Amino acid sequence: MDQERRGQWLRGVLDVCVLALLGRRESYGYELAQALDEAGFGQIQGGTLYPVLLRLQRTGLITAEWREGASGPARKYYRLTEAGVEALQRLSADWSVFAGHVDAVIRR
Amino acid sequence: MKILTVAEMAVREMLRRRAVLALLLAMPLAFYLVRRGDHVGQSIRFLLLGIAWAVSTASLFASGSSRPVEPRLRLSGYASHHLYLGRLAAMWLLGLVVAAPFFALVAIDHGDQVRIGAVALAMVFSVTVAAPFGLLIGALVPRELEGTLVLLVVVGLQMMIDPADSITRVTPFWSSREIGTYAVDHTGGEYLTRGLVHGLVFTILATALVALLSTARLRVRLRAATSA
Amino acid sequence: MDNDRWLWALGQEMARHQLTPDAVRHVVAEAAAHLRDSGQPALRAFGTPEGYAAAVAESLAARYGRPARPAPGRVRLSARGITKRYRRRTILRSVDLTVRAGEVAAVVGANGAGKSTFLRICAGLLAPDAGEVTLDGRLGYCPQDAGTYDFLLPDEQFVLIGAGRGLDRERSKQIGRAGAAALQWRPAAGVQTRHLSGGTRQKLNLVMASMGEPDVLLLDEPYQGFDRGTYLDFWQHVWRWRDEGRAVVVVTHLLSQLDQVDQVLDLTPATEGAAA
Repeated sequence: MDQERRGQWLRGVLDVCVLALLGRRESYGYELAQALDEAGFGQIQGGTLYPVLLRLQRTGLITAEWREGASGPARKYYRLTEAGVEALQRLSADWSVFAGHVDAVIRR
Repeated sequence: MKILTVAEMAVREMLRRRAVLALLLAMPLAFYLVRRGDHVGQSIRFLLLGIAWAVSTASLFASGSSRPVEPRLRLSGYASHHLYLGRLAAMWLLGLVVAAPFFALVAIDHGDQVRIGAVALAMVFSVTVAAPFGLLIGALVPRELEGTLVLLVVVGLQMMIDPADSITRVTPFWSSREIGTYAVDHTGGEYLTRGLVHGLVFTILATALVALLSTARLRVRLRAATSA
Repeated sequence: MDNDRWLWALGQEMARHQLTPDAVRHVVAEAAAHLRDSGQPALRAFGTPEGYAAAVAESLAARYGRPARPAPGRVRLSARGITKRYRRRTILRSVDLTVRAGEVAAVVGANGAGKSTFLRICAGLLAPDAGEVTLDGRLGYCPQDAGTYDFLLPDEQFVLIGAGRGLDRERSKQIGRAGAAALQWRPAAGVQTRHLSGGTRQKLNLVMASMGEPDVLLLDEPYQGFDRGTYLDFWQHVWRWRDEGRAVVVVTHLLSQLDQVDQVLDLTPATEGAAA
């Protein structure tokens, strides 16, 4: 895929994807980057990911906590707030509708 | 308190100028040694003049280095009298410290031939007059080089002028000359009296002029808002 | 640049964006954790420290940004109809400037347009041929050239200014050194002012101007000789002074900060532009 196009699309949905991943279980930045990589997005750089996390935290959709992991040093763990759960439901519904429109136009 | 701080910083500044300090001490010494061969009175009179020249030159330099800083000090809570009085105090102190070893020199060299107390007084007066005189030249002539030349002319005149000429009475360092004469030539008390009067009048006059010029230069031309 | 240096630079840059020390610590620690986990070089994972700090600052903008600043207060400095002639040349022609508490005004103009003259008139050091300056509060003035004693130590200059402001010796030194540290400068013991570099001397100049909590700060191109980082620090000070409710007037010929100041006074004469 054309890198620039990928970047543009990603910018639009990265926050939704992060919310969705955090909806499954709480996680920290590097783990989220790995999960996104495995999901097929390719490598998401820290410089892209963390500002998104900060913005979500600022708007109250996620909260963060510094904690020692099961192994290794302290990491900043994020999880959804109630507002985040609601936002995730609304955004995933919005995305289905939007993706449906795009599909419909392309396939016709 | 503010005057003391200004004085302290002026002394510190001057003490770090090693070259100026060396000249400050060398000048009167040279004057003294050059005339030591002749008459005792002559060498002491030259010494007094040398001290006066050294101290007035130092004051001139102190005045020059402060000129660019004074406006900001004025705006930082100092009144102009804090500034010139502080500097004057510093120069007096410095002058007395410079004069002390020369007094010791004269005491050792000619202590038995002169009125030694009057020599001390003459030195005090040459310092007393020289400090405000140097500041005055500094205030009148902004550039140090020109100021130095003015001092050179004054001291040169004072040296060469015929002592009998009445014009000597308006020269700045006449007071220490008169007191010096009283000390060296064992003349009558009238020399001492008129020397003291001349020195005091000249000091007050020079200080007043410095005050006037400095206050005018550092006038702050702002209208304070009438607070509501 | 290795990762440790990158992280250090990130901290510096974020401080320049006026992020709280707490926020800086968290962001730096998280970036460090990421670098450790991923094993990537910092430049690849996060880009330049400047860029990443800017992105972080933007993400946190709502909490730490400018909108929080208080509304401008009462008029601190008012210059009305200032006219100044040198010989027969008119340098300033009926110039007006009003600066309120919590505002920054930039004075710009070509060389010889009378920027410093105007500032000296605002400080009350120079009489205008016409017009009047009204000041409300305490003045701090930073002259363009020196305004410092060559043979004194920085500490002694702090004491000198402090005494004028009614501060005792120790307090003056404390305030002066704190101001110096904020400009990334630690005065070395026993080094006289004449041995300082031009940029450092300007830092001294600036610190002296800001001592004693002035209500109005008049700064005449105080950043000459500053490196880029210190230049940014200087503007952070300007914003901080503004947010503390001081009125700040900065003479400048660099236009990069003009979009952020509250008003710009351009002293370039209109006739000169037309003739050119």
